[in-house]
Amino acid sequence: MDLFRLTISTLMARRMWVVVLLVAVITPIVFPLFTPHETNTTLLEPARAQSAWTCTWLIGILWTLSQAARFGESNSRSGIGSYFRAQGVGSLRQIFAIWSAIMLFLLPVVLVAVGTCLLFAMPANPQEASMWVWTNLQFAALFLLTIGPLALLGVGLASRFGTLIGYVVPTGLCLYGLYGVTYLGMTIRLRDDNKVLEWLYAISPQYHLADLTPRLIFKMGHLPWADFTSFLLYFLAITLILGCSATLLFRTDPLRN
Amino acid sequence: MFIRGERNNLSFKMTPSVSAPPQASVKLSQGLGIGYRSLLAEVTEDIPLENGTHYLLARNGRGKTTLLKTVAGLIRKLSGSFETHGHCQFIGDEFFFDRELKSQAVFRALIPAARREDAFRLADKLELDVGREFGKLSFGNRKKVGLVVAEFRLRENEPNLLFYDEPFTGLDTPAREAISERWKATGDQAVRIVSCHPDFDSMAMPSALLITDGKIFRGGDGNLTWADFKERLN
Repeated sequence: MDLFRLTISTLMARRMWVVVLLVAVITPIVFPLFTPHETNTTLLEPARAQSAWTCTWLIGILWTLSQAARFGESNSRSGIGSYFRAQGVGSLRQIFAIWSAIMLFLLPVVLVAVGTCLLFAMPANPQEASMWVWTNLQFAALFLLTIGPLALLGVGLASRFGTLIGYVVPTGLCLYGLYGVTYLGMTIRLRDDNKVLEWLYAISPQYHLADLTPRLIFKMGHLPWADFTSFLLYFLAITLILGCSATLLFRTDPLRN
Repeated sequence: MFIRGERNNLSFKMTPSVSAPPQASVKLSQGLGIGYRSLLAEVTEDIPLENGTHYLLARNGRGKTTLLKTVAGLIRKLSGSFETHGHCQFIGDEFFFDRELKSQAVFRALIPAARREDAFRLADKLELDVGREFGKLSFGNRKKVGLVVAEFRLRENEPNLLFYDEPFTGLDTPAREAISERWKATGDQAVRIVSCHPDFDSMAMPSALLITDGKIFRGGDGNLTWADFKERLN
């Protein structure tokens, strides 16, 4: 609990959270104004939803993952990890204390995105509105299940290999899962006899499944519950793998010791 | 009150508490070997340590930090055994906080509210600017933050162990004296093992552990000073 409090205090002291929160609030208001909304007013609301969630993804990747890496390294290099370990706070408790403090600062950003979509982009049609609410809630859950484990991996990697590796690997994994896998899928479809690529595709994290922005923009409705449950289980399995890797990698003191 | 067996197994047993100040203890048994891969030093006699301040003296690279880390349970012993009894804090020679964090925020996060006032008082006595960001503090002042945190995280009515690795590095004489005073006044609350390189001969060392020629042993009869030990280390 002390390490959790210390991490919270550090995040508060860094004050970057103020900028992040302002960006999360302002972006969905300002960016849609660059669309030709004067000629087509129906553009404004989907643009707000798109801006809100794109901004949330960017904050998750640029800020949350970088903070995770920074805390992972500083915990092991500053002597704080050793200090708490000597008191009986083991690696597992330390990594989760750091991780939960970081995730606590991401939650308001997700709430702002959901709030923006519900308050400023809600469809007028009651049936569409209900779907809109569920789509946003599904999106929030899948987003947190994507960024959360990657942040945990970032803490673990950075504690062992430093901030750079702790940031680049989870970010690379996230971008690959969001965009690279789609391209890989297209390549496989064009060259359907390549077993290596198929195998690579099968083990790749399909983070693009967590991005429900197209469903919001094109008002496709929420994910069918059976699909959502499958996605949830899939992301929980990834969480388990990344969580185990992160806790195994996590060090409370620098590698030289 | 907790009784901890050997640090490495981190097991706790409950025993009835007593009204007298809780007695913490460290017992280094003869044959305890410390080091990373190869043996750095070995305990040559049974060394029982009770509440009070015990200085750990050795030249560079002889195993001061390794011994402290071993008894704190941070690294494995190479041979033999030791016992510790009490809530342990290890304050390494590099115990630093985030550059942007102010000392007062560190104290608020880590020191229980009931003791915070006293912590700020000690910080004031040490001339530590608690409103300044950690990154803007001098090396000595950074050390003071760790010292204040450790001192006011001592658990009440529980035995406490404090292992300090070169806490005086970078501290000016008035700050050293203030810390020594504090240790004297609260000597019955914890076992403090302090590794250091004293810089004035008259520094009193009622109890000291020495590491020289790969041997760890106890020195001093209660009335010795740094000048008496210096020769033995050289």
